[in-house]
Amino acid sequence: MQGPLIDTLARQGVTRRTFLKYCATLASMMALPPAAGRAMAEAMAAVRRPSVIWLPFQECTGCTESITRSHSPTIEGMIFDMISLDYQETLMAAAGHQAEEARQNAMKANAGKYLLIVDGSIPLGQNGAYSCIGGRSNVDILKEAAGGAAAVIAVGTCASYGGIPKANPNPTGAVPVSDIVKDKPIVNIPGCPPIPVVMTGVLAHYLTFGSLPELDDKGRPKSFFGETIHDRCYRRPFYDQGKFAKTFDDEGARRGWCLFELGCKGPVTHNACATVKWNGGTSWPVESGHGCLGCSEPDFWDGGGFYKALSAPADPLKFAAAASVVGAAVGVGVSFANRAKKNKAKATHETITVADLEK
Amino acid sequence: MSLDAIPIQVVHTTPPGEPGLTGNAPPLLRELLEQVERLLETGVPSAIDLSALPLTPADMDWLRNALGPGEIDVTLDANGESTLSETGCPGVWWITHRNEQGAVTSQFLEVTFVPELVKAHPQDVAMGRETLERLLADL
Ligand code: SF4
Ligand code: SF4
Repeated sequence: MQGPLIDTLARQGVTRRTFLKYCATLASMMALPPAAGRAMAEAMAAVRRPSVIWLPFQECTGCTESITRSHSPTIEGMIFDMISLDYQETLMAAAGHQAEEARQNAMKANAGKYLLIVDGSIPLGQNGAYSCIGGRSNVDILKEAAGGAAAVIAVGTCASYGGIPKANPNPTGAVPVSDIVKDKPIVNIPGCPPIPVVMTGVLAHYLTFGSLPELDDKGRPKSFFGETIHDRCYRRPFYDQGKFAKTFDDEGARRGWCLFELGCKGPVTHNACATVKWNGGTSWPVESGHGCLGCSEPDFWDGGGFYKALSAPADPLKFAAAASVVGAAVGVGVSFANRAKKNKAKATHETITVADLEK
Repeated sequence: MSLDAIPIQVVHTTPPGEPGLTGNAPPLLRELLEQVERLLETGVPSAIDLSALPLTPADMDWLRNALGPGEIDVTLDANGESTLSETGCPGVWWITHRNEQGAVTSQFLEVTFVPELVKAHPQDVAMGRETLERLLADL
């Protein structure tokens, strides 16, 4: 491995073997053959660092937090050594006119070659006045920056599909990047927040092969979003046996049974949580006892309630493929049961939970 | 309140009565045989990505038992521990990478005389030479 990256890493105490090990794991997570790990390590060490401009729009900075505050700062921090991050409001030292100037300079110097990362949705209401930077609307800045970009990476569900700002009644007229940028390749990395390693993986793929990874019909990298949470969920054997927790504190919950009836959206959600996990591989939502919210799918916020069991398949084709006939039948049964319980509760004035109200 | 007072018990996810074997492990032995033959004939190493396959913990145990323990275990301390262990079949190495929290991040079976990660890279050796030269100069 030659080139400046390996030297930069060495100065930070990251050894060659650490880097090789990291690349081997990354290749594995991206479902690339084992030999690709070595190829990645060599290519990334030698490559000229591409310029990256990162624009935050209508967002909560959760995506930036997810990516920059992961548990192994040296390793995930490497992505910032692989790229030349020329504009990122949260991380850059410059502010005000200097920051805007840095962006203009980077855009000019690397015209047609820089990667554009966007987090947050773009409000179109009131001519975009709901979110402005330096007196210019988000939509204006996005159009300009996308014009000179080689590709756009939409980080998080807001940039990918509109996310929470776009949730009903969408007061700001929020739209995703793909509604505005029509003539550049776009990769969506949804998730609220997205999994850090997915972003590293997309960048590594770009640096190694000079292209973007293969995408699914919703613009997501297939290697991370090819399967549903339910496909790889460790509670799946219980689902298949029809063993469901009915409340968060019943016997079934204690025994780790399936959370389907408690509203788990795993069967219709494509993401890598079940395999990659969160917090440095410590755990993930279903393992901590809570159903999947479906955060990496379009309009997850308007899915009808986080604690409401999936009754009608949200995505019929996918659902039919993922869930067994028994599973689907259970879903229909649940929605009837929910309604019956609510009516009964109303009639007898017994205490009902928030979860009951959503059913 | 001690944590024990919270009535949550960890239950193993393999349902009772099922050993958890999927039958996905035995075919791997055939693939390994082909890879070992290739190594012997052409010297070309190869690898199987275990994390990419639908193997349960029971399948993994079965595979480990079938291959048996070997003579060499290498421990690599690089952002978490990695172990590179030769199995009972010389040339077949079981490689497990862990992160700093000790969670397994990837697992491979490598068919090679010596895993690439064990060898020192010439550029690193050159740095070692500089260190030695400095030590000598300071004597
Ligand atoms: S419904 Fe949810 S908890 Fe149950 S098996 Fe599927 S993903 Fe896991
Ligand atoms: S488990 Fe579901 S809701 Fe939770 S982070 Fe993963 S995809 Fe999003």
